[in-house]
Amino acid sequence: MGRAAPRKSELLKGTLDMLILKTLTVQPMHGYAIAQHIERLSKDVLAVEQGSLYPALERLQKKGWVTSRWGETPTGRRARYYTITASGRRNLGQEISSFERVLLAIHGVMRRA
Amino acid sequence: MSLLHSLRHRLRVLFRPGEFQRSLEEETRFHLELEAMQQEHAGAGAVTGAAARDAARRRFGNVTSYKEETRRMSGLGFFDLLRQDLRFALKSFLRTPGFTAVAVLTLAIGIGANTAIFSAVNALLLRPLPFPEPDRLMKVSLTSPADARQPAQTDRVWSYPKFVVFRDGQTVFEEIALWSEFQGTITIGGEAERAGVEYAGARYLPALGVRPAQGRNFLPEEDRHGSGPKVVILSDALWKRRFNADPAALGRTLTLFGQPYTIVGVLPPGFSGLSGRAELLIPIMSQPAEQINQAWSHSYYAIARLKPNVTPAQAIEGSQTLGIRVGAAYPHPEFGTSDWGVTARPLDATRVDPVVRRSLLVLLGAVGLVLLIACANVANLFLVRASGRRREIAVRLAVGAGRGRLVRQLLTESLLLSVAGGAASLLLAWWGVEILSAINPVNALRAQRLDSLGAVSFSSIRLDGTALGFAALITLATGLLFGLIPALKATRPSLTSELKEGTAPERSGKTLRGLSSRNVLAAGEIGLALVLLAGSGLMLKSLAKLLGINPGFQAEQVLTLRLNAPSGYGRDSLPAFYDVLLERLRAIPGVTAAAFSDCPPLNGGCNGTAIDLRDRPAAGPGSNPDIGVHWITPEWNRVLGVPLIRGRMFDASDRLGGQKVVLVSESAAEKFWPGQDPLGRPVGIGQGGFWEDTAQVVGVVGDVRFATVDAPPVPEAYISYYQSPRGGMLVFLRTSGDPLAVASPARQVIRELAPGIPVYDIRTLASRAGDAMSYARFSTILLALFGIVALALATLGTYGVISFGVAQRTREIGIRVALGARRGDVVRLIVGQGLRIAAAGAAVGLVAALAATRVMRSLLYDVAPSDPVTFAAIVALLGAAALLASWIPARRAARVDPVETLREG
Repeated sequence: MGRAAPRKSELLKGTLDMLILKTLTVQPMHGYAIAQHIERLSKDVLAVEQGSLYPALERLQKKGWVTSRWGETPTGRRARYYTITASGRRNLGQEISSFERVLLAIHGVMRRA
Repeated sequence: MSLLHSLRHRLRVLFRPGEFQRSLEEETRFHLELEAMQQEHAGAGAVTGAAARDAARRRFGNVTSYKEETRRMSGLGFFDLLRQDLRFALKSFLRTPGFTAVAVLTLAIGIGANTAIFSAVNALLLRPLPFPEPDRLMKVSLTSPADARQPAQTDRVWSYPKFVVFRDGQTVFEEIALWSEFQGTITIGGEAERAGVEYAGARYLPALGVRPAQGRNFLPEEDRHGSGPKVVILSDALWKRRFNADPAALGRTLTLFGQPYTIVGVLPPGFSGLSGRAELLIPIMSQPAEQINQAWSHSYYAIARLKPNVTPAQAIEGSQTLGIRVGAAYPHPEFGTSDWGVTARPLDATRVDPVVRRSLLVLLGAVGLVLLIACANVANLFLVRASGRRREIAVRLAVGAGRGRLVRQLLTESLLLSVAGGAASLLLAWWGVEILSAINPVNALRAQRLDSLGAVSFSSIRLDGTALGFAALITLATGLLFGLIPALKATRPSLTSELKEGTAPERSGKTLRGLSSRNVLAAGEIGLALVLLAGSGLMLKSLAKLLGINPGFQAEQVLTLRLNAPSGYGRDSLPAFYDVLLERLRAIPGVTAAAFSDCPPLNGGCNGTAIDLRDRPAAGPGSNPDIGVHWITPEWNRVLGVPLIRGRMFDASDRLGGQKVVLVSESAAEKFWPGQDPLGRPVGIGQGGFWEDTAQVVGVVGDVRFATVDAPPVPEAYISYYQSPRGGMLVFLRTSGDPLAVASPARQVIRELAPGIPVYDIRTLASRAGDAMSYARFSTILLALFGIVALALATLGTYGVISFGVAQRTREIGIRVALGARRGDVVRLIVGQGLRIAAAGAAVGLVAALAATRVMRSLLYDVAPSDPVTFAAIVALLGAAALLASWIPARRAARVDPVETLREG
């Protein structure tokens, strides 16, 4: 009740979750590093507002796919580090395969039409 | 696994919301700082400081809204909205303190009264009996067929020989034991006091599932034969009070009936037997064998615990079957009949008298109605308030607030109000429970001979967890009930008309609907109030009739007290003791007459026996009529103000060895010697040694009600203490001044005459007579109080609706006056509207009341549940209230100045 309409399209939101999970498979990272990582790898094509990362991280934690704890950066600053859980990895696998199926289907449609 | 992580995260957020917020702030700050540094770095010195921070913010997006979204995502958003709603509600209530105070007070009365009455219902009817597996306990009773004096009975007490036949033959109970209670004088270390005593079989405690906390239960050999060992088990309270909780008390002795009893055990704390007031338990078999072995001397209750696989229905059937053998084993000593039997019932069903059960349920229904009226009233207030806020709500709907969001906001308001009312109601409930629990069951219930289990008493009424849970539940239900309808109505989307016509709301269709639903609520209140008032009116009329009954004696200015003659006195020496005692009591200044009897009036439980009319042919066995029998001393009629109608009172010449004489009551004279002179008639009375010798009727006295106020007088016979001496005395002292003033000198006289004999139960006769009706009076006053509250609320509700209507119709009224309507016409218009509401409510209420008051039949004395006088009076009362409620706003309407109102428009 009373929840505002989602800011990004559902596709994008699901995609953001997937990208975060994928990023975290490399190693535990803080939020800024995740944003950097996604921007760098997608060459800014998938750039979203960096702030949208945090509601997504909260959502993933609520699902139990990501956990977080406070730690120190190599330069000695306090930062919140996110880690992907086993179930997060399982879910990522499923997301990727279904995403690939969709991509394949779209690809097929685009070529024939 | 994911479930575990998820749960841990959610719990941390929920229980550490502050930490969540701090983390979020710090994380965002950290992010923005790093990004700003990155911007400076990328801009190679061209972008610095504030510019870099701005760039970082642009890349991040709206910081505040992302923080909020994260918070909402975490689930804390719910609490944020709640806090917002509560703050908003609180502010709007503080803006309208009058409305708030009336609503909270109304709810507090409704909820508090319900909680208090529910506490009583819970303690007396619902709460499980304080024994293990109470639903396995049964009360087993003797039954007797109808005879001349009384109808068939199904709940008679046992004699030991009959019990033995039953106990040895039964197969349905795991345990079965006899018990009974009495007040005895115990002496410990030379100090005497009166204490509640229970006679108990050895299997009494095992049947109840209770084990002594110290020492042991009675042994089988202490339960086998009469004249058995004199042992005693103390209650925890007595052990602590008189032995300072000393374990060495075991093995010591105390004195009862002038004989030593050895202490063998101590009961667990809080247990005081089925009587609810036992301070000691002694074996039934400690009584003399000849007393125990009388098959037709009934005085014990039987308690039994079902075998594991036996149902109560099977046990009842088994008991009744075996009952035939019990009846046959001991035929009636006079009549030779063997038609007595046995039956059983769940102990729980015997916990309170049916009259108490019924009246409690009626009271619960009554407070339920009060609460409904209170709800209707507050709902009405809300509707009025909502119409004042219609513009605000319409604007909020127009700018896109969801309807659900607004309903939630309005429900938060009503729930906040009901919680405030619920909290305030606890004070009222606490006070009500204090009063309810102070009803003395011995006085109020025993005095009326109401049948109930002592262990379940009014003193066990508490404001416990169950009652508080009930209060919380009805608080929430109330908030939803009076909040939901106004909330849904207020937010019904019909925006444009509100926005357009906001200044003249009385013309929109919505207002008419709003008004009509307010009218329905007000009419409903009047209907409900009529049901309640009809109930209380009937009870008041019944109580008035009860109070108007002449019990046959004058209770004012009489002190009563009890004592037992010292054990040294016997049949031949007692009359001398009486003489000295009465003479010294009479000599006390302020005492004008002194007497004693064996049984107080209006108390029930007096002796009854057969009368043999020896001036006519001998009656067949078993056909002698029944008569009540009382022991009195010569001045008894003078002390109690009982008129001597014919013949003479007992006098000094009526002594042991002389001609036996009796007095009879007016009812007895009319029944046995109609139209004849009863004086000089020879009779035999089945007690006190008056059957063997023929006695002569020497006088007729007025009827006295010995059982209850509402039981018509029955034939009674009076025997003189001097011709049939006995040790127990209930002394009556008539005084010239305050009866309690002679209590202390009377005590002193008795202490001098019989040192060490306790004097107890010192009370005025008026208070005894008052007790006999205290329960009826109490429940009537309570019901009347609820009726008054209902009337007040319904009147207030009607007043609210009418005066609101007047406020809204000011312009219309102004136009009417301008067009020539006279003030009288305006008043008639408004009052007519009020009376129409009242008439509609009363019509529905009358039908409901006629149906509802039928359940009160057994509570009413000499009043029909549909008593037309009461109903007419109640309708008139409500009509007057409705008239008043609409008269005040009508006068205001009549004072409307047409010029002023028209100019305003």
